[in-house]
Amino acid sequence: MSRLPLAGIRVTDFTWAWAGPYCTLQMAHMGAEVIRIESQKRPCVSRLIPSFADEVPGPNRAGYFNQYSQGKKSLQLDLGRPEGIEIAKQLIAKSDIVVQNFSAGAIDRMGLGYETLKQLKPDLIMVSICGYGQTGPERQYMGYGPASVPLAGISSLTGYRDVGPAEIGISYGDPNAGIFGAFAAMAALAYRQRTGKGVHIDLALWEALLVLMPEGLMDYAMNQSQPERDGNRDHWMAPHGCFKCQGDADKWVTIACGSEAEWQALCQVMGKPELATDKRFANVTARKANEDTLEALISEWTQARDRWEVTELLQKAGVSAFPSMSNKDLATNPHLQSRGYLVQKEHPEVGKRIHAGIPWQMSGTPCEVRAAAPLRGQHTDDVLRDILGLSEEAVQKLHEEQVLV
Amino acid sequence: MADQLLSGIIVVECGNLVSASYAGKLLADFGAEVIKVEELSGDSARKSGPFPGDTPHPEKSGLFLYLNTNKRGVTLNLHAPKGQALLQSLCARADIVLHNYHPTEMASLGLDFARLNHANPGLIMTTLSYFGCTGPYSHYKANELIASNAGGWAFISPGASDYPELPPLKAFGHQADFQGGVHAAVATLGAYYHKCLTGEGQHIDVSIQECIAAILEMNFMHYTYAGKETSRLGRRSIYPWCMLDCQDGKIFVVNVEEDQWRRMVELMGNPEWATLEIFQDRVSRGLNYDALFPFLQEWAAEWKVADLYKAGQERRICFAPVNTMADLFASAHLKSREFFQQISHQVAGTLMYPGAPFKPSEGGWALHRPAPTLGQHNAEVYGGIGLSAAEIEELKGQGVL
Repeated sequence: MSRLPLAGIRVTDFTWAWAGPYCTLQMAHMGAEVIRIESQKRPCVSRLIPSFADEVPGPNRAGYFNQYSQGKKSLQLDLGRPEGIEIAKQLIAKSDIVVQNFSAGAIDRMGLGYETLKQLKPDLIMVSICGYGQTGPERQYMGYGPASVPLAGISSLTGYRDVGPAEIGISYGDPNAGIFGAFAAMAALAYRQRTGKGVHIDLALWEALLVLMPEGLMDYAMNQSQPERDGNRDHWMAPHGCFKCQGDADKWVTIACGSEAEWQALCQVMGKPELATDKRFANVTARKANEDTLEALISEWTQARDRWEVTELLQKAGVSAFPSMSNKDLATNPHLQSRGYLVQKEHPEVGKRIHAGIPWQMSGTPCEVRAAAPLRGQHTDDVLRDILGLSEEAVQKLHEEQVLV
Repeated sequence: MADQLLSGIIVVECGNLVSASYAGKLLADFGAEVIKVEELSGDSARKSGPFPGDTPHPEKSGLFLYLNTNKRGVTLNLHAPKGQALLQSLCARADIVLHNYHPTEMASLGLDFARLNHANPGLIMTTLSYFGCTGPYSHYKANELIASNAGGWAFISPGASDYPELPPLKAFGHQADFQGGVHAAVATLGAYYHKCLTGEGQHIDVSIQECIAAILEMNFMHYTYAGKETSRLGRRSIYPWCMLDCQDGKIFVVNVEEDQWRRMVELMGNPEWATLEIFQDRVSRGLNYDALFPFLQEWAAEWKVADLYKAGQERRICFAPVNTMADLFASAHLKSREFFQQISHQVAGTLMYPGAPFKPSEGGWALHRPAPTLGQHNAEVYGGIGLSAAEIEELKGQGVL
């Protein structure tokens, strides 16, 4: 049994930016044939913004696009032309899944709404992703990934003490909507397998984030209050933080003690057994009450040491610890390397570059990134000929009529 | 009960806290039959808040109540041979077993894939762990904080930080664990589709560190494409992209395209300063952030959050309020989509819960039952695999249930 789990599944992919592409990336990882529809008239923003390979701009050189389009195909098609819409419909009729993340209602105006597409393919699965969902009074609002974080209340709960609400470093709403979209499509596939019926999924970035906020929302439901922002600290554990290490200014290690045994072990490893019997730190309640002092003592110890040395010493003693990883740390990490997570596939313009790979391993149907991201329009002719059955002449004519741009 | 997307799928879930539990909840909320197996002392989520009045109670943890809707719950001592035999009986009729026990201890708890799969060749076993089942760190211990740093997220958070002396910052809650849970659910259902076609089960090894490293936006490529080591310190490359103080709270705004900035200038009443050379495109605005921010802030301070949100969005400018929990429960949009859903629990009472992550045209999300109390379904579930009431009592006495 070596075929990939989604072998034989075809996805017509109208997505762009990040949310939608992250959704269809999961399907490509599991072996689906994902055909991304693109046009140079309205290029995907992920082909336009840095970082470019060796800082030389170009639509096929953008790391953003090349990361989230690994293993997909590219069909260049002008959806502003009726002929373009017609080709898209032909492809959808031969697809299992359609994914799109235009603003609410836009795909209907293009003549590619679910009700229309269902006529072409009665058991079609369609995933529609947008900021606020397809219904409701704010459905037309713009909901970019970075804005969905404050919108969902994450910023009001995240931040250093006394500093104010924080942004969280990534446009979290996007990949999160993407992974939920992939879950929805897989659930719909199970449903189609059992009932023969298709499904349309309405997925909002906002709601998909809210479901990951139970500690805040349930607190409000129970107590009509919300937790205070408190940096990296935890209400139920101490120590629980990120501590400065030796080296240049930005090297850190995280340490978390979830039990008394771990706290005792930490004291031993730090060479300060007296702390283990110190009243100020006798149990988690005491350590919470004296957390500033506790953190200062730990920092004093970590600052004189390398973050990997701290990690190894503590892990050996059964204490959870790990460095705070930069992008360079990840891309050069031996553990990730040994698991085959760091993927380098030959790409005609950028050569072999390291990309983040597949975060799971399957014993029976080993998933793999099968190819680098496509050049823009790389598979246009192949898709038209091999999937839609168009003749060379018909394809040539579409090129001449500027439909495939 | 109405037919749901995952009706008919049988799942056994073991472990503690968030990752496996959330994967199980996703399946249960869309119709799968999920049996949650807890240690005799209960899932450690029961000890984690929020609690009413901040007073711990094993049946009143908001986190546990939320994570375990629609599941049936049993207790089982996985350290006892009889406990492991019962786990095997539960797995013999299941499609999927999900767990987040540490890879070094799973076999000793009876979660031995080779053995379970021998008894049930169609079984899919999904293991969620922080560093995966293989590789030099596979024996390391971690938790949410460690994982959000190990995956490279915290190092770049908070974005555009003004505080170089302050450490990398984790996002609120259990985001790394949740991402592990959703990614695991995706892979598990992919494997389930394969099972539908072939009858074959398999083992899935999900690394939470790798799930986080997969969602770092352009961070990986800044290094591997351009050799740049990124951090949370520094500036946004485009601008505006910031929070602003209004009269009654904070609002966030981001302009990605030039036309959005032009409409923003119009909304601000076409001020003289907006014509300055240093604000002419998104990159120069990013470079001259220090000059631009005070103008934006001065203007926003005149507004109420709700008014500016509406005025901005009506002009297709991406504003968003920095919402509190109270704001979310009051949202008219979320109300019209019936996002929050009420359910009654025999100990914790009636509460509003966050609802569906997405809305399918059919086969949708539904709350059929609240989270189980500890061991609530022992009689029903173990009775279902052939144990008599007397046998169940005996196993209880032996410390197995």
